[in-house]
Amino acid sequence: MELHILEHSLKVASIAKEGIQICTHGLIKLAFLPSKTRCKFFSLTETPEDYTIIVDEDGFKELPESEYLSVADATWLALNVVSGGGSATSSQPIGVTKIAKSVIAPLADHNISVFMLSTYQTDFILVRERDLPMVMHTLSSEFTLLRVVNGETVAANSTGVTNGFVKPKLVPRPIIHPLSSPSNMFCVTSLDPDTLPSVATLLMDVMFYSGGFPNNVLFTSASGELWKMVRIGGQPLGFDECGIVAQISEPLATADIPAYYISTFKFDHALVPEENIQSVIGALRTNESTGQ
Amino acid sequence: MSSGYKPDILWSPHHADRYVICDTELSLYRIGPAGSSETKAGALPLSEETAATLLAINSDTPYMKCVAWYPKQEPECLLAVGQANGRVVLTSLGQSHNSKCKELVGKELVPKHARQCNTLAWNPGDSNWLAAGLDKHRADFSVLIWDISSKFSPEAVPAEKVRLSGDVDSGLVVTKPLYELGQNDACLSLCWLPRDHQKLLLAGMHRNLAIFDLRNTSQKTFVNTKAIQGVTVDPHFQDRVASFFEGQVAIWDLRKFEKPVFTLTEQPKPLTKVAWCPTRMGLLATLTRDSNIIRLYDMQHTPMPFGDEVEPTIIERSVQPCSESIISSFAWHPSAQNRMVVVSPNRVMNDFTVFERISLAWSSTTALMWACGRHLYECTEDAGQGVAAAEKDIATKMRERAQSHYGHDTVQVWRNHVLAGGDDPQLRSLWYTLHYILHCSYTENVEQKQQSNKQSLIYSGIKNIVKSSSGTTETRRCWSGSDRQTDVPWYHSEERSLALQLCGWISRGPDIDVEPFLKSLEQEGEWERAAAVALFNLDIRRAIQILNKGASAEKGDLNLNVVAMALSGYTDEKNSLWREMCSSLRLQLKKPYLCVMFAFLTSEPGAYDAVLYESRVAVRDRVAFACMFLNDAQLPRYIDKLANEMKEAGNLEGILLTGLTKDGVDLMESYVDQTGDVQTASFCMLKGSPGEVLKDPRVQCWIENYRNLLDAWRFWHKRAEFDIHRSKLDSSSKPLAQVFVSCNFCGKSISYSCSAMPHQGRGFSQYGVSGSPTKSKVTSCPGCRKPLPRCALCLMNMGTPVSSCPGTGKADEKADLTRDKKLAQFNNWFTWCHNCRHGGHAGHMLSWFRDHSECPVSACTCKCMQLDTTGNLVPSDSV
Repeated sequence: MELHILEHSLKVASIAKEGIQICTHGLIKLAFLPSKTRCKFFSLTETPEDYTIIVDEDGFKELPESEYLSVADATWLALNVVSGGGSATSSQPIGVTKIAKSVIAPLADHNISVFMLSTYQTDFILVRERDLPMVMHTLSSEFTLLRVVNGETVAANSTGVTNGFVKPKLVPRPIIHPLSSPSNMFCVTSLDPDTLPSVATLLMDVMFYSGGFPNNVLFTSASGELWKMVRIGGQPLGFDECGIVAQISEPLATADIPAYYISTFKFDHALVPEENIQSVIGALRTNESTGQ
Repeated sequence: MSSGYKPDILWSPHHADRYVICDTELSLYRIGPAGSSETKAGALPLSEETAATLLAINSDTPYMKCVAWYPKQEPECLLAVGQANGRVVLTSLGQSHNSKCKELVGKELVPKHARQCNTLAWNPGDSNWLAAGLDKHRADFSVLIWDISSKFSPEAVPAEKVRLSGDVDSGLVVTKPLYELGQNDACLSLCWLPRDHQKLLLAGMHRNLAIFDLRNTSQKTFVNTKAIQGVTVDPHFQDRVASFFEGQVAIWDLRKFEKPVFTLTEQPKPLTKVAWCPTRMGLLATLTRDSNIIRLYDMQHTPMPFGDEVEPTIIERSVQPCSESIISSFAWHPSAQNRMVVVSPNRVMNDFTVFERISLAWSSTTALMWACGRHLYECTEDAGQGVAAAEKDIATKMRERAQSHYGHDTVQVWRNHVLAGGDDPQLRSLWYTLHYILHCSYTENVEQKQQSNKQSLIYSGIKNIVKSSSGTTETRRCWSGSDRQTDVPWYHSEERSLALQLCGWISRGPDIDVEPFLKSLEQEGEWERAAAVALFNLDIRRAIQILNKGASAEKGDLNLNVVAMALSGYTDEKNSLWREMCSSLRLQLKKPYLCVMFAFLTSEPGAYDAVLYESRVAVRDRVAFACMFLNDAQLPRYIDKLANEMKEAGNLEGILLTGLTKDGVDLMESYVDQTGDVQTASFCMLKGSPGEVLKDPRVQCWIENYRNLLDAWRFWHKRAEFDIHRSKLDSSSKPLAQVFVSCNFCGKSISYSCSAMPHQGRGFSQYGVSGSPTKSKVTSCPGCRKPLPRCALCLMNMGTPVSSCPGTGKADEKADLTRDKKLAQFNNWFTWCHNCRHGGHAGHMLSWFRDHSECPVSACTCKCMQLDTTGNLVPSDSV
């Protein structure tokens, strides 16, 4: 397995719902006109609470300074797990479940806070830049560490510093934060960049004005998979607490349930297949109760 | 939305006249000759000769991303369409509904997770297998290999899952692929390897090209590269693969997959299509975005990795199939050579054939060959007998002449023009001139050895001879046979007499006796010329007699009698009717010599322009005439003028005037420039007085070129003969011995000419060998008496009698080279391979290598004969 450390220096920001209009110009530029900015990484998540933006430093310059815009202090780096491929077994769990044991749990054991961003194509594990030596130390045993520099993938040198690191505490991880599962269902899909211009107005409408997609307009999922969400957190979670992703993903991995995991500025969200929602809730509840 | 899709084009694999254009829908076209009865009114012209007819349209499959045509003959026109959601739909065009492919049409191959389908490829062996390359999904595979014949649909799609896709006809849906490859990555392009149908080349696996073997999918060969946007295998060279990325194409050799064999020059714009020509070796066509040219890379002449670091050369060309419009896509015709159809973004199509580069080569003989496409054209000279000699190419003439020993007759030099074919007046004149020069020079030599000054004068041409003329006497001679004094002044000097000799009129001075010359002319039937010469020698009676003879001769011209009659009426009276009529009517005479006869008779003394500038009369006759009738002032002027004319025209008759001097070389240069006849030039200049002209670089150049020509024609014996001939005439050209065979024991040359040096008084008798060293056995070293190496075949010690003729005197040298006195039979010569150093008698070796390619020495595997580049060539001239 390879772990790619991407070259983007990322900022995580939140735009309050009422302040979205002052940012629309920048956001449209980032989302639809990639050639007009030097931005290479951009993510926008809308929740009932706010808009969460994950963007690299070049892209961040496109956003105005405003009272509505709150930014997490840290600079984040994105990690991406690449399986060597070639494995013919098709029973592998999807997404965050797959990396729960190999990445998420070890990082949690070492008290490294992670910020997850699952996409249709891959899962990004965001870690603070300052935690990188620790991350590399933690994961170097399990992964080939590769660093992306100017678009080229090169082997990353582990700093080799081991002194002063806290010994991992291998304790069971109870779920501490309250969970909730809204009734609405989600569709996860991907879009061919070539078709972006033709659906741009529609996407803009969805992003800033109305609430939903017309049926099948994006010519989406073939298998028609639908997903239900589990929201983690009653109070905003903050960025320092570690182990939250691990608390959720480990039980899912054990139950072999695929999931998307999307962290936002305030809360975390796990998407699980709709048919699995009951067993997920059940599994998580079990963990919750043992914790308490 | 349609503006987003650029039309692509796809040829039917089995019907050379069908192709499909795909943009938002599929349109099947048939291509046919324009204006034929078949073409209907709706036919779209593709080129001047061809037009396309729309046969069918299929718009059942929206969101097309890629299309692949079923490779088998049946069912025809079955297409796999890859869609934006990753589904692959089988569809067909223009098929009746009860056709064979009915059960396949409409079949959908659905991946677990929707994402764009980037590429499709049918397996060339098992046509049920279809590989689809998809975009990345977090954990799903990007390459799915489907079996289209599969009816197995394991989990019937639950009803609620169909809500978003709106698909109900689940009976045709296949969701279980045969193989899944490439997890957690996108596949941008793929192709099956034609060499092994179980192998698949994928591009896009994390910036690498990977080869998977379906028999063991956990193993893969891969290489990191950026060039992953498209891969395509050369249909003619199955280990050669082109892959591209933005503006750059990399060419790979699958046998040496670590790095590209080479990359093509980068284009400023991203490439959209790269395709090998299916009808021609090593031709790659590339198209960049928004471009109206197709770039062609010809790798025909690049033997794939030859050495380790050999950078092959590629010929790059670009073609512009349609002048203005940009090209959206193109497709090579599957069978018509170098033909392609291009389509513009607004679906304007163009049928276009890339013109093949023409390569051309001259043979060393006159044949010319050129190749264009698959055609090889040979252009040879018409060798038929009907071809006039004058029309033959100079190379053919030279070959023929070389074979007839042209130039080698050193005794009767004039005969060389006969050897040359005897039909070229210039050569005839040249060789006669040379003959007279050599003849005069020889007689001078014999008679007055002391006069070397005159000797060189003979070679310097009449131009210089008349300049040195002194003591000219002017006489008025009588018409012979009458005592009537002529008023024609007649000039005489020793030099003029020499000039006449060179002209061939007289054989020896100082007496002017042309009778032998007239006799010889009569013999050859040159009646008019003989008559003219007789007349110029003021012998009208003899002239008339000659003309009569000519008229009565076999096939004689009876008109000569009439001319004789007219001649007999000659009167020197200025205002006579005869004179008046003759001077006007002579112009109607066809024969130049008859014409000049009357011109001479009717001219004023000293004003003989009508004779002197009658170009149809041989130069030598005009010059001889001038030498008799022009005074010391007129003569050099005339000769100079004539010589310059000849020089400019490159007329070999002028050699008479210029001699074999620098002037003569100038003239010859102009002749060679016009004719290319280095053969004549070489032989002619070799005849020159030793020294001067041969040193001229031009002359050396002609000689070298002639030798090269003979070599190129494989006339090696002729070339050797020429070299011998040359060394006889030009001793400076004789090469020194450059190769010596040295004895293994004493290291001295085994040639006796070296050992002829006195041996410091040490006789060989002390070794108990009787006889003098020069009579010793030829098979031992003359230096140390140890035996010479043995022949590998007969195991006899080698040695040639050549060594037994030491130190031949210089005087004998020429004689030694004649054929009957060969020093040693070639069969006995030493020969050895420069590689393995084995060898033996030349004759033995020759017969061995006639049947073998390896060295005769056992355990030696040297392929001696193959190392000899000329060894396998046969000389084309026989000895």
